[in-house]
Amino acid sequence: MTTARRFEADPTSPRLLRRRYGDRTELWTEAAGELPPVYGEGWLERDGRRFRRFEPARSKLSAGIAGGWDGPIPRPGERWLYLGAATGTTASHVADLVGGDGAVYAVERSVRPFARLLATSARWPPLLPILADARAPASYADLVPPVDGLYADVAQPDQVEIVLANARLLLSGPGAALLVALKTASMGRDRSAGRHRDSAEERLAREVDLDAAVKLDPFHRGHFLVGGRWRGEPNARPRGVIRSPGTPRARRRP
Amino acid sequence: MNAALVIPFGRTVYLFTAGSDRPTGFRLPDHRGPTRAAAISSAEELPGALVDALDRLRPAEELHVVGEALARTLADRTGRRVVPPSSVEWMAARRALPSVSAAEQRTFVRTVAAEALATALRAPEEVLITLAREEERLERAVGREQRASEAMLEVPGSPLVEYLGRWAVTRAALERHHRALVETLESTARSVAPNLAAVVGPRVAARLIAAAGGLGALGRTRGARLQLLGSRRRPSADRGPRFGVIYRAERMTDVPSDRRGAYARSLAALASIAARADATTRGAIAPLLVRRRDRRIEQLRGRRR
Repeated sequence: MTTARRFEADPTSPRLLRRRYGDRTELWTEAAGELPPVYGEGWLERDGRRFRRFEPARSKLSAGIAGGWDGPIPRPGERWLYLGAATGTTASHVADLVGGDGAVYAVERSVRPFARLLATSARWPPLLPILADARAPASYADLVPPVDGLYADVAQPDQVEIVLANARLLLSGPGAALLVALKTASMGRDRSAGRHRDSAEERLAREVDLDAAVKLDPFHRGHFLVGGRWRGEPNARPRGVIRSPGTPRARRRP
Repeated sequence: MNAALVIPFGRTVYLFTAGSDRPTGFRLPDHRGPTRAAAISSAEELPGALVDALDRLRPAEELHVVGEALARTLADRTGRRVVPPSSVEWMAARRALPSVSAAEQRTFVRTVAAEALATALRAPEEVLITLAREEERLERAVGREQRASEAMLEVPGSPLVEYLGRWAVTRAALERHHRALVETLESTARSVAPNLAAVVGPRVAARLIAAAGGLGALGRTRGARLQLLGSRRRPSADRGPRFGVIYRAERMTDVPSDRRGAYARSLAALASIAARADATTRGAIAPLLVRRRDRRIEQLRGRRR
């Protein structure tokens, strides 16, 4: 018989739990819905509570937390905006973290994954799907009340600009959380992943108090979890088109 | 409904009725509209027809009625062109609204989502993509059954005879179903992408659109990329794939096998032009492209004109 593994709740986000096996740590979230699992993840019931395995290989947020992210994490009762929800793998875990009193507004543009997201959301109360393009936050701003946090996994060349446009319009105010699963391969291949992260951080830092970025290798190559707390509008925003060293240039053809 | 306050807010109209402190949200479908968030009007000033329309409405239904009436009303009253709200106005209007209960908000968002999905899936383009994927799967199944029939040896008097008879019936039904599906697919493809269907054939046109993810995406695809859509091999410098879906294109078999790579290249270039026309101007440029295609085939067969 093995000894019962203890779940340890995260000090800042009690619906996030850790189980230690020697030097290995598993992440779990407390499920906000009923069986069956959303995408075939591990499922455990104990003392009337339901837990879902939150695997780093499946989710960039999980990989970030496992990699030592010490910035904001979704907490019970909060409202989050989730950009690029796809079929809802990570979005369902974010919904778990905010729990039944919170809400996750999950924006997805592609019709086919959205059909699955909508089906999942019907049995996952905090998960609220929106079929829209994250590039046009005004098209869904009327559906989303001011949110406590924003998580983005959009994998677009202009992902930082997409995030900032949404943050300016929909974050509740200074102190709100902002997390970006940065895919550097989408930002052009003319420079290294680290340089892309630096340029993204530089643009974010004008409006966000950043926490230390976490590299998501080896689970997600060339990805980083960056973000922190929203500070608000920049003090001196340049007029006209914002040109920073990080603005993606037109990609050259090979 | 006697007293009501209507706040158009982006694509949603919030409606406050007397005796209720809670607004009901109506979302306007495809609203690019002439309303302004700051414009707030009370029901007493609204024309009777609009009040009647609002009265009959249930959330998320027949919203264009409200949208049009509201836009007319606001434009008439102000006598100005009414423009969509700026982000600052959005925020202001959002804060001015009393908070809707969480349960109502959830129902509202889900209703909007289900409707948006249904609208998107009803689009001919999405229907075409679904059909194309279905047809591809079915074609594989039909092919598999046909190959199985070659392997199956029928001996009179064998205990397998009855089983084989039933299997043949199933197979025939599958093939009938496939033929019907191909017909639907081809007519849908001709209406969604007439030029592309004329150049490469309707079935390949449907598969190209499905492989690209949509007509818009295909219209933005260069010929060199279009040539390889649907190919399973990895592109490489020394010997990459020359064909994808396009190998099944119209008149590919009229070209000598050692010239098919060249034909695929030319055809892909023409197909990308056709797709662009279908995705943007919808002009009928097919005859020109088909002429060029046929000339190219003559060239490749060694009979220059």
